[in-house]
Amino acid sequence: MTHLTVPEAFAGTIAMLLLIVQLSLFRSVVISEFIRVYAIQAWLVAAICLGVGITEHAWDLMVLAILTLVFKGVLLPRYMQSLAKGISARVELPARINILLSLLLAGALIGISILTSVQLPLHEGAFLPRADLATALSMVFIGFLVAILRPNALAQVVAFLTLEDGLFFGTITLAPGLPFVIGILLLIDVLVAVVVFAVLVRALVGAQAAASVHVFERLKG
Amino acid sequence: MSALVPAVIAIPLSLAVLVLLIPSRVGRILTAIGGLATAGCILALVFGTANGLTHLDALSAVFLVPVAIVYGTVGLYSTWYVRAESIGADGDERYRREFLALTNAFACAEAVVPLLTNMAGLWVALEVTTILAALLVRLQGTDASLEAAWKYILIASCGLAIGLIGVVVLYAAGASILGAHYGPQWSAYIAVAGKLNADAIRLAFLLALIGFGTKMGLAPMHTWLPDAHGAGPTPTSAMLSGVLLSDALYVITRFASIANAALGPSMTQHLFFVVGLLSLFVGAFFLLGQRDIKRMLAYSSIEHMGIVACGLAFGARLAVVGALLHVVNHAATKALAFFSAGRLASRFDTREIEKITGGVAVLPVSGTLFALAGLALAGMPPFGPFRSELMILAGGFSTGSWPIAATVLGLLLVAFAGLARWTIGVTAGGLPEGMKRGERDVAAIGSMLLAFAVVLGLGIVVPTHLVALLERAGDIVGGHP
Repeated sequence: MTHLTVPEAFAGTIAMLLLIVQLSLFRSVVISEFIRVYAIQAWLVAAICLGVGITEHAWDLMVLAILTLVFKGVLLPRYMQSLAKGISARVELPARINILLSLLLAGALIGISILTSVQLPLHEGAFLPRADLATALSMVFIGFLVAILRPNALAQVVAFLTLEDGLFFGTITLAPGLPFVIGILLLIDVLVAVVVFAVLVRALVGAQAAASVHVFERLKG
Repeated sequence: MSALVPAVIAIPLSLAVLVLLIPSRVGRILTAIGGLATAGCILALVFGTANGLTHLDALSAVFLVPVAIVYGTVGLYSTWYVRAESIGADGDERYRREFLALTNAFACAEAVVPLLTNMAGLWVALEVTTILAALLVRLQGTDASLEAAWKYILIASCGLAIGLIGVVVLYAAGASILGAHYGPQWSAYIAVAGKLNADAIRLAFLLALIGFGTKMGLAPMHTWLPDAHGAGPTPTSAMLSGVLLSDALYVITRFASIANAALGPSMTQHLFFVVGLLSLFVGAFFLLGQRDIKRMLAYSSIEHMGIVACGLAFGARLAVVGALLHVVNHAATKALAFFSAGRLASRFDTREIEKITGGVAVLPVSGTLFALAGLALAGMPPFGPFRSELMILAGGFSTGSWPIAATVLGLLLVAFAGLARWTIGVTAGGLPEGMKRGERDVAAIGSMLLAFAVVLGLGIVVPTHLVALLERAGDIVGGHP
C-alpha cells in the first residue's frame, strides 16, 4: 500500500477543493457569485504555490504565492465586484441546460482528463504527478464548459479566469521550474480582469442590457 | 553580428516609449525610420545566419524575414495612415500617439518570437503579442472594434491556455530525463528526443497545434481572425496577417520538430493535413461570400495558412521548403493587399466591396497594386506566392499523395475564383461620379512599392542565401537539425 507524503496529501486536497469550487459555477445565478468563486480559487492556487515553494525551497514561488493572494484573491475580485455592483442585482445569468446535466457533462470531462493523464508517466518524483495533470485539464475543460453553457459575456470572462487558475495549478505543480510563466499568467489575469471586464461592464451599462448580454453579437466570425 | 539581435528589439521598443512623448508628426517619421532600420538589421542578421555568423538557427532566421518586410513597410505606410485617420478633433493627437506607440511595441513583440527557442518563453512572447494586438484592435473605439478586441483576447487567450498545457506536458515529459529544474530549450528536447515519452509528446504536439493554431487562424479555431482583421486599423491588419500568424506557426514548427525527432513525421503530418485542408476549405469558400474588403483579405489569410499547413503535411523536402517560402511570400503580399485596400477604403469612405468600383481610375497606383496583390494572392504567376504554391503542390504530387494534392489544387481554384471576382470588381471600371482621380502620398506609395518589389522579386528569383536557409529550416522542422 502506498502512503501519501504530506505535500502529496496537501496537493491532493487543494486539487479536490479547486474542482468542487469550480463546479459550483454551474449553480451560481448572479455575477457576484461567479466573482466569489474566482476569489476562493485564487486563495487555493496561492496556497498550492506557497506549498510547492516551501517544499522546493523556491523563494520565487513563495513571492508569487503572496502576489497571487493579494492580486487574484483580494484586489481583483474587489475591483470586479465594485464594477459589477450596478449590474449584479439585475442580471440573472442564463443557463443553456439544467444543473444536473451540466454536472454530468463536467463529470465526463473529469473522467476524460483522468484517463488521459494516467497514460502519461510524467515527471517522476513530482508533487502529485497524475492528479496534477488531471486536475489542470479538468479545470480547463470545465472552464470551457461554463463559458459554453452560460451565454453571458461577464460569466464567460470569469469562466476564462477560472480556467486560467487550472493552468496556474498545472504549471506550479508539474513545471515548478517555470516561475516566469506563472508570473505572466498572473499578469494576464490582471489585464483580462481589469481591461476586458471593465470594457464589458461599460458596454453593458451603456446598452442598458439588464437581462441578457447581446451587446457583442454583431460580428460573426 | 550578434549585436544586431539587441538592436532588433531595442529600436521598436525605444520608439514605443518615445512616440508617446513627442508630437505625432515627428513620431510617425521616427517610426518610419525605425521600421526601415529594424528591417535592415533583420536582413543583415538573416544574411549573417546564412553564412554561419550568428548563433541563430535557420528556422528563426526564416521567420524573422516577415517581420522585416511588414514592420519596414508598416512604419512608412503609417506616416500616411495617422494623417488620414481621424476619430474626432480632440482625440486625434492622442489616438495617433497611442497608435504609433502600440504599433512599435507590437512590432517588437512580433520580432522577439522568432528570436526565442525556449519553449516556455515562446508562450510568454505570444501572450504579449495577444495583449498588444487586442489593444490595437480596440483603439478606434467603435462598437465593432471593441467587440472584435473582446472576442480576440478571449478566443486567443483560450487557445494560448491550451498551448500552455502543451508546454507544461512537454516540460514534464522532459523532467523525467533532464531533472525537475531545467531550461526548456528546444535544443535540450532535440538532444534527448529518442528518450521522451511518446504519449506525452503526442499530447503536447496536439495541444500546441490546437492552442497556437488558434492564433495562427487555422480552422476551426479561426473565428476571431476576420473580426480582428476587419475592425482593426489597416497597418495593424497587415501586422496581424503578415507576421502574427507566422509567429504562431513558428511556435508550432518548433513543437513539430521535437515531435518529428521523437516519433517520426507520420503523426504531425496527419494532423497538419486535417487542419490544413479544413482551413483551406473554410478560407476558399468563405472568400466567395464576403462583402467587406478587409474581411475578404482575412479569409484569404486563413486559406494561405491552410496551404502552409498542407505543405508541412506533405513532408517532401520541396513541399516543406515551399511552405516556409510561402510564409515569406504571404507576409509581403498581404502587407501590399491590406495597404492598398486601406487606401481604397479611405478614399471611397467604405469597406463594402460592392460600393468600391473603378479603384484604378480613382487611385491609379493603389488601385493597380491592389489588383496585382489580388492576383498574387490568387496564385497567379509571376508573383512569389505562385512559386511557393507550385513547390508545395509539386512536393505533394511527388510523395504520391495524389488525392490530397488534387484536393488542395481544387480548393486553390475556388479561392482563385473568389479573389479574382472581388479584385476585378473593386479595381475595374471608370471614374465614379463625384470622385477625383489621383494620389500624391509618397510614403504610402513607397511602402506599397517596397512590398510589391518583394512579391514580384521572390516570384522571379529566390536569393541563394534564402534558399540555403529555407532548406536548413526545412530540416529543422523535419526533426533533423
